[in-house]
Amino acid sequence: MKTLHRSVWIIFGLMVCGAAVAYAQVPDAPSVDFPYTGNRTAVWVVAQLHILFGAFILGAPIFAVVAEWLGHKNNDPKYDRLAKEVIKVTVILYSMTALTGGLFLFVLLGTYPDFSTWLIKHFFLVFAVIYPLLFILETIILYTYFYSWDSMKGSLKGRHIALGVLLNIVGTITLFVIDGPTSFMNTPAKAAEGVSLVEFIQTATLWDKMANFSWMPLNLHRLVGNVTFGGFIAGLIAAYMYMGSKTDEERSYYDWMGFVGNMIGVGALLLLPFMGYLLAYELCDYDASICPYMMADQLSMFFEMQGAMVGLIFLASNYYIWLSLKRIEGVEQIRMSGFVALAVLLMPAIMGFAWKMFPPPEWQSLIFLAAMVIVPGILGRVPGLRNFTVSAFTMIKIGFLMIVVADAIWMTPHGFVATQGLATHEVELPEWAQELALMPAKNAAAFTLVFLTIVNYIMYNRAIKRGTIIWGKIDFASQFVLIFLAFSAIWTMGLMGTVRSLTRKYYHVYNLVPDFTPEAFTPTLAYSAWWITAITIVFYAVVSFAILVTLRPGGSKAVAPQGSPVPAEAK
Amino acid sequence: MANQSFVKSVLKKTTLGIIIGVIVVVAAQQTHFPPVFQAMFFIYAMLGSAVFILLDAPAMKRLEGIKAVAALLVFYVLLSGMYIAGASILPQFDPTIEAGKIEKVLKMRKARSQQGKAEELIARAKQLDERAQAISKLLRSLGAGAKVEVVEDASATSGAASGDIVALGKEQWELQECYNCHKLFGSGGKKRGPKMDNIGNLMTPEQLKEKILFPKTWKAEGFDKQYKKGKMPDKYRDLMFDEEIDALVAFLATLRDTSVDTPKPIKMK
Repeated sequence: MKTLHRSVWIIFGLMVCGAAVAYAQVPDAPSVDFPYTGNRTAVWVVAQLHILFGAFILGAPIFAVVAEWLGHKNNDPKYDRLAKEVIKVTVILYSMTALTGGLFLFVLLGTYPDFSTWLIKHFFLVFAVIYPLLFILETIILYTYFYSWDSMKGSLKGRHIALGVLLNIVGTITLFVIDGPTSFMNTPAKAAEGVSLVEFIQTATLWDKMANFSWMPLNLHRLVGNVTFGGFIAGLIAAYMYMGSKTDEERSYYDWMGFVGNMIGVGALLLLPFMGYLLAYELCDYDASICPYMMADQLSMFFEMQGAMVGLIFLASNYYIWLSLKRIEGVEQIRMSGFVALAVLLMPAIMGFAWKMFPPPEWQSLIFLAAMVIVPGILGRVPGLRNFTVSAFTMIKIGFLMIVVADAIWMTPHGFVATQGLATHEVELPEWAQELALMPAKNAAAFTLVFLTIVNYIMYNRAIKRGTIIWGKIDFASQFVLIFLAFSAIWTMGLMGTVRSLTRKYYHVYNLVPDFTPEAFTPTLAYSAWWITAITIVFYAVVSFAILVTLRPGGSKAVAPQGSPVPAEAK
Repeated sequence: MANQSFVKSVLKKTTLGIIIGVIVVVAAQQTHFPPVFQAMFFIYAMLGSAVFILLDAPAMKRLEGIKAVAALLVFYVLLSGMYIAGASILPQFDPTIEAGKIEKVLKMRKARSQQGKAEELIARAKQLDERAQAISKLLRSLGAGAKVEVVEDASATSGAASGDIVALGKEQWELQECYNCHKLFGSGGKKRGPKMDNIGNLMTPEQLKEKILFPKTWKAEGFDKQYKKGKMPDKYRDLMFDEEIDALVAFLATLRDTSVDTPKPIKMK
């Protein structure tokens, strides 16, 4: 019955695709006025919801197959259970992805018929053939993967994992394919020098349009973002289930699951600033005027908000480590070289200076970077200097101090104005401190956040290996940290998705298809924040419902006891 | 007991945070940071203090059932409120400014686009007219006395506005946001493009037009890196109409302030 129900949704999604293509053939379809929100916001909300569900169903299988493989490799049934539970939720949300995808097409076609027709015609093969086929293929593999879980055990487990890998390959290809038209809207294929873009587009091949400037950076950014997302949502699932657990066994399992989800989420998160930087770099490289629009003009305060969100996410993920460490017996004996602590303290200043003198990718900048990362470790092994150490808790406290400092640097703008064109001395940095607002300082701040989080994780792993960890006994506040991380990650995705769309300015397709509607201006950050919050809440509500329906906290069967204190190394 | 020591810790760290915040604010005042930055630094000192308070907080009691659900809902409301408030506190760009700008930029394009549609309609109307006349002829030849109304062609008018060309050019400078990269009259642009105050003495209108349409044909002295990276977009020949480019060129040609050191243009191609 369930399969039938889901199949109906999938067929519905495909019918919508077909209807969209057919609709695109009808000339001069009249547009509608969406009530209350207006057309643009309606498209924005539905598109963002679809992207969030899409990100989950693409990110979660990556997370699940890695967990399944770890379980198989280490003969640890916990991982297998984790993977299966994540996939269970994924299967439910797959229908929501199809539903919101269909809704997105309907709303887009109804509100912007001319543009939708134009875009579908330019990517006809993608929308009418490639994407639906990939979608069908992914659906078949996902359901086969899920429903064959129990039957493909033992000697067949390897094949089941291979099926999961295949699912991820198809999912990733689907992502890359649909990123083609999306990125094309930001950076349409660039014509050769001296040739008009308008003329070039008429003769450009599908590949010319797909392989545009921001296509691969967007692919990478979304891929890494989806893994982060999958990790944090696994953390959310664990938090809900932990809160609803009735037995110590359940609590110990979900405590462990939260730990794994957070670790994967944070691990991928460390790469995200650099992927985002790559995407921004390519956008600026495509058209240098996009850069000031993002960093110094209408979108500058959106980036200010991004800085705040990134800072909060790093604070929360490190706070989770802190809470985890507190319940490890023997953690007092874990120490870290004092030179590493010094490196963390000095990193923003030294790297800011180095990257100003030698902007990346100049080789000298990499020398400085390597020295900052390697030298403290080497000094910590030199006899005589080896005893200069700090405790795990002191190290983490230094880390927290530097998160605040690094985030302050990240968030220091050239001027506290919505657009630098309106800047006056009353709101601008003094001349001598202007470096704080430039990219070397921002990069140094981002790198400090990443570096100290890695250091904390290294120390955390040392503590787990040498100490005794009791799963299920973590501070209850940690569950709120996991929920906070998932909520904040979704909110930040919404914010940055808004930014990416807005970089098209008053164009549907940048510099090519103008948006003549009265809504073609940049909305205020406050207005955007309301809608981003609304989208996040709707998404959260659906995901929470899916978790509750699928996994039923407190209602699952008893599992093998795992809550007894065992030296972690022995596991 | 644990609660008492936590209260002490809160008081101690809050006091420390305030002291550090005040020191930072005084230092910022002395080094000429405007008040808004001083406030920001103070907020960061307090955030640091809050973080360190949180680190020493006693373990949270386990919540179950309805209490857990209520706590979750309150938590979500707080998070939502915090993010909306945070975004709303930051300076907001007035969309009406941009909306007005966009209206001006797109006005001519919209007019031409409508003109394009009108022309298409006229062509269709002509086709229909020819058919109608053919049917009419046929009917007449069959002896019927039907009359067919002939639709008169509507002619579209050009949306080009007239006025002072230099003022229009200055408007184009604003609309195309040239100020984001070029400094003029002491404001705008940082280091992306050269100052333009004396460009009228260094380039002829033809050369200026060539630079706008084909940026790689000219390079500003000292801007090798920017030239190499193609920082000046080559989109204006697609985006601007001839009359807009002519107006912008006319405006730039009037910029002849010799007191400003506008870099020398070098012919490249």
